[in-house]
Amino acid sequence: MIDPSPLLRCEHLTVRRGRREVIRDVSAEFRAGEIVALLGPNGAGKSTLLDALAGALPAAGGRVERHGRVAIALQSPDLARRSVLSNVVLALAWWGVPRSERATRAREALRAIAAEHLAARPAATLSGGERRRVHLARAIAVRPDVLLLDEPFAGLDAEVRASLLEDALSALRSSARATLVVVHDRAEAWALADRLLIMLDGRLVASGPPRELLERPPSVEVARFLGFDGMLDDGREVVLTRPVHVVLDARGPLAGRVARAIPLEDGVRLELELDQGRLYTVASLPAPQPGEPVRVRLDGGVRFPAPHRAEAVERQFPAGNLGTP
Amino acid sequence: MSYLWEQLHGAIPLIAHGDPYVMGLLWVTVRVAIVSTAAALLVGLPIGLALGLGRFRGRRALQILANASLALPPVVVGIGVLLLLLPRGALGSLQIEFSLTAVYIVQAILALPYIVALTPAAIQGLPPGLLAQARALGAGPVQLSALALREARIGVLAGVIAALAATISEVGAVVIVGGNFQGHDETLASALLEQFNYTAHEPYASAIGLVLLALIVLLAGALTVIQQRTGGIQLRFRTV
Amino acid sequence: MRLIWDELGKALPLIFHGNPQLLAVIWFTLQVAGVATAAACVIGLPIGLALGLGRFRGRNVCRALANASLALPPVLVGVFLFVLFSPPAPLGFMHLIYTRRVVFIAQTILALPYVVALSAAAVQALPPGLLSQARLLGAGRLQLWALALREARIGVIAAVIAALGTSLSEVAAVTILGGNIYGYNQTLASATLYEVGGGYYADAVAIAIVLIAMILVLMGGLGVLQQQGNGIRMRFRSAA
Repeated sequence: MIDPSPLLRCEHLTVRRGRREVIRDVSAEFRAGEIVALLGPNGAGKSTLLDALAGALPAAGGRVERHGRVAIALQSPDLARRSVLSNVVLALAWWGVPRSERATRAREALRAIAAEHLAARPAATLSGGERRRVHLARAIAVRPDVLLLDEPFAGLDAEVRASLLEDALSALRSSARATLVVVHDRAEAWALADRLLIMLDGRLVASGPPRELLERPPSVEVARFLGFDGMLDDGREVVLTRPVHVVLDARGPLAGRVARAIPLEDGVRLELELDQGRLYTVASLPAPQPGEPVRVRLDGGVRFPAPHRAEAVERQFPAGNLGTP
Repeated sequence: MSYLWEQLHGAIPLIAHGDPYVMGLLWVTVRVAIVSTAAALLVGLPIGLALGLGRFRGRRALQILANASLALPPVVVGIGVLLLLLPRGALGSLQIEFSLTAVYIVQAILALPYIVALTPAAIQGLPPGLLAQARALGAGPVQLSALALREARIGVLAGVIAALAATISEVGAVVIVGGNFQGHDETLASALLEQFNYTAHEPYASAIGLVLLALIVLLAGALTVIQQRTGGIQLRFRTV
Repeated sequence: MRLIWDELGKALPLIFHGNPQLLAVIWFTLQVAGVATAAACVIGLPIGLALGLGRFRGRNVCRALANASLALPPVLVGVFLFVLFSPPAPLGFMHLIYTRRVVFIAQTILALPYVVALSAAAVQALPPGLLSQARLLGAGRLQLWALALREARIGVIAAVIAALGTSLSEVAAVTILGGNIYGYNQTLASATLYEVGGGYYADAVAIAIVLIAMILVLMGGLGVLQQQGNGIRMRFRSAA
C-alpha cells in the first residue's frame, strides 16, 4: 500500500535561527499514503522543522529532497476578508490552479472537511473552530504531494477539537499524499497517525508506529515524554510505568504508601511512595486515603539498565508535561 | 550644484554667529510650540481620556468628530479666530488681534485635535482586558485614567510630538491671525513664507530653513526612537 | 458676534450666486487635489506596498524615514523646491516657478508621504499569517500585492483621503512656488490667505466655507468607511 520511494526526505538536516541551532541532525522520510504525527514539547523546533522541510527556511547543514510540491498550513488560521469559498478559491489561485477548476475543487475540499455549509459565509464571521476547518480545507484543496500541517487543532476546546479531528481523519487520508502533522496533544497523534516522530530539543529521538513506540520506547527520555510517569530504581535497572501498568493488589509484591490522592471524574489519581521510587496510578472508588499503606503489582512497564539515578531523570526529563494522564 | 552650495554657504555664518533675527525667530517658535501644546494638553487630555475610557452615549460620534477635526484646514481656523478677535468681533474688546497672544490661541486650537484624537486611539490600542480588569477590581475614574495614561504613554507622547511638529510647521493660520509682524509674532515657518514672497534669495531664507529643519528632525527623531522602541518590544513579544 | 454675521451675510451670496472668480478657484483646487493625489498614489502605493510587505535589508530604516517624512513642514518643502527650480539652479531650465504646473508638482510631493507611510502601515497591520500563508502556497508578487491592497483597503483609502485633505488645506508650498497669483494659480486655501492679507474678509469667509464643506464631505466619506470596517470587526468579535 505504501509507495516505496519517499516524496520528501531530509538527511542530517540542521537549521539555525539566528546563531542558535534549532534543528540538529534530523533525518526522516515521508512516503505517499502515510500520515505522520510530529510530537514534542514547546520550543522543541517542530515549526522550524516544518518551515525547513517546506523550503521557507534554508538548511544550515544536511539536505532536503523533495519529489513533488510541498504545501504548509501555518498555525494561525488567518483568512482574507471575503467569503469562505472565495478564500479557498484564492488559495487555489496562489497555487496556480487553472481558473475553471477552482470553484469545483474548493467546494470538494470544503465538503471533504464537512464545511460546505460555511461556503457563503464571510470569513470574518467564523468561530475559531470554523476558521480552523476552512484553513484545513484550503490546504487540502491545493492537493499537494506533501502536506505539512502546523498544529491544526491548536486553541480549540475539547468538544470542537474532537469533531474537527474526526472530520480531518477522513479528509487527510489520501493514497497519493504524504502528510506530516505537528500535534501538541498525544491523543491527537494516536487518533491520526500511522507513524509518530518525537522531537526533543531539536533532535528526532524516536520514530515508529504509535502503538509500538508506546510499548517499547527507545529511551528513558522518550518514555518520560510519552507519559511514563512512574519510576522505580533498584540500582541495577530502572522501571518506568504508565498509570495503567500500576495495579492496586492486596497480594502484590511491592509495598508502598499513598502520598497524594487527586480526585478525577471516574476515580482517583494516586501518587504512591515506594522504597525504590514513585508510582502513579488511577484507582476506582472507593480508593485508599493519603497516608494509607498499599500493595501493588506491575502489569507492564519498560525496563532500562540503570546508569540513570532516579533524581537525575526526574530533573532531566520531567514527566507528564503534555497531554492527559 | 554650485548655486545650491551658494545658498547654503550664505546661511552658515548667520546660524553659527547666532544672528539676532534668526535666533529671535527660533525663540518665538519654540515658545509658541511649547505654550500652545501645553495649553492643548491641559484642555485636551481630559477630553481625550473621557473619549477613550468613557462609556456614555454618543461617545463614538464624538470620537469620529475628534478624528475629523484633525483635517480642519488651518486657514479656516485662522480666519474664524481672526473674525472673533477683530475690533468689531465678539472678543474684540481684548485687543489681541495681530499679536503673539493671537498666535498662541490659534496654535493651541490647532494642536488640540492631535491630543484629543490620538489619546483615545492610544488608549483603545491597549489590551482590552487590562482596563476592564481594573474596572472590575473597583478602580475609580482617577485610578483608571492614571493607569490608561501610564500604559498608553507612548501613544500620548506621539500625539504631543505630532502637536509640537504641527505648531512648528504651521504657516497659514499664523500669518492670518498674527499679521506676521517682523520680530514680533513671526515664527520660523511664517517668516520663511515672507522671505519668499517679497525678497527671495536672501541668505536669511536658507538660514531660517535650516534651523526649522533641525527642529523638525529633532522631533521626528525623538518620535522614531520612541516608536522603534515600542516596535522592538512588539517584535520581541512576537517571537516569544 | 456681529462681525461674523456681517461677514457671513456678505459671503453667502458670493457662494450661492456662483461668483465666477470663486468657481474658477474651486475648479482649480479640485483639479490640483485630484491630479496630485492620483499621481501620489501611482508613485506612492508601490513604494508603500514594498515597504509594508518587503523583507529586504534596511526596511525598518526605510519605514522610519517614511514616517518621519510625514513631519516635514510644507513650507520647507516649498523652499527646497524653490531653490531647486529657481532659474540658476539645476532644474531651472524647466521654468516652473510661479506657474500652475508647479502647484500640481508641489502638492504631489506633499501628498506622497501620506500615501507611502499610511499604506505601508495599513499593510503591516494585516494578520501576518495571511500573507505568509499566501507566500507559502506559491502566491506571486502581484497576487500578494493584490491581496494586501484588498485586505488593507480601509487603511489605504484612509491614506488617500489624508492625501486629498492635505492637498486641499496646504498653503505654504503653493504660495512660495506658485506665488499665490490672483485669478491664475490660487487654490481655495491659498486664496483665503490672499484675501485676508488684502483685508477682504467677506471673500475670505466665502472661500473658507467652500473649503470646509469639501473637507467635511471627505471626512464624512472616511467616517462611513471606518464605520464599515468597525462593523466587520465587531461582528467578528461577537462571533468569536
